[in-house]
Amino acid sequence: MEIEVAGEKLPIRDNLVREIEAAWESLARAGTWWTGAERLAIAAEARAARACGLCQRRKAALSPYTVDGDHDAVGELPAAAVEAVHRLVTDAGRITEGWIGTLLTGGEMPALAETEYVEIVGVVAVLTALDTLHRALGLPLRGLPAPIAGAPGRHRPVGARRKLAWVSTLAPEDICADDPNPYPVHGDKNIHRGLSLVPQEVFNFFDLDVELYLKDHEIRDFAHEYRAISHAQIELIAGRTSALNGCYY
Amino acid sequence: MANGRADSVPHGQVLIDLVEAVHRGEAAATTTARRVVREHLGDAAFVDVCATIASFSAVVKIADGTGIPLEDYKAEATREMRQELSINDFKS
Repeated sequence: MEIEVAGEKLPIRDNLVREIEAAWESLARAGTWWTGAERLAIAAEARAARACGLCQRRKAALSPYTVDGDHDAVGELPAAAVEAVHRLVTDAGRITEGWIGTLLTGGEMPALAETEYVEIVGVVAVLTALDTLHRALGLPLRGLPAPIAGAPGRHRPVGARRKLAWVSTLAPEDICADDPNPYPVHGDKNIHRGLSLVPQEVFNFFDLDVELYLKDHEIRDFAHEYRAISHAQIELIAGRTSALNGCYY
Repeated sequence: MANGRADSVPHGQVLIDLVEAVHRGEAAATTTARRVVREHLGDAAFVDVCATIASFSAVVKIADGTGIPLEDYKAEATREMRQELSINDFKS
């Protein structure tokens, strides 16, 4: 397939195009804890966060948690959801366990449910991937789609526990009969477990991510090249991008 | 990147230039970096470079937003490097 960039047609893998379209649809569809309209409001808030004055002051501060104020919010999301989205977009590298705890227990604003927070992380991650791809290619950002009607599933995995991360995760050995298994397709490394409190978010993100990057079994298969760039080139890009984003993982 | 290590990978500096330009959001630098990547590696490679940048700009949101730890095998494999760089000091 081809993708048109500034009047030129560039080759793009069919599977990547398919997963990009699926990712956009996933943003518009009801999730597990937020409706399609709410997920799109999270996406809109994520885009707005880049121009938020409070976020810019916090980003410039040595101690971002000492800077108070109101976010330049664009929608009707609860204040805690806006805080979560803006911090994830603009200063994720300085998120702390304490900050998440404050969001989930409530403080100056009504608390956010842990499941709602994890779904927000998933939506922000998918939107970041899609928008960054456009920015890198030189394409204007794609307009957000119309919401798809439907109600959230609202199933919290019974076996989820808070023992690995700052949020509850679902270990493979703790999956109960009624729990969706988020691991059979993409693996169960910690990065997959991070979103596992909301299993559908594991699929929403990693179905796209394995086409942007590599499938789990391809990452260390140095006998084959799966992309138009080599493993070494992919890992150089990955390492530099992660370093610029302050990612320890 | 001034230390030259990117040059151990074919077209490494060209790739790094695009990564850094996209991260900074500088329009002119990004336009130039895109052109240079396409000239050196071709259009299909350019799209895959952009896809990789997108992937690793996003996955950090999951890692940082949920506080997952490094897997034991990764921690062991990078133990000396993390000590040299004092990376452990930055764990929240």
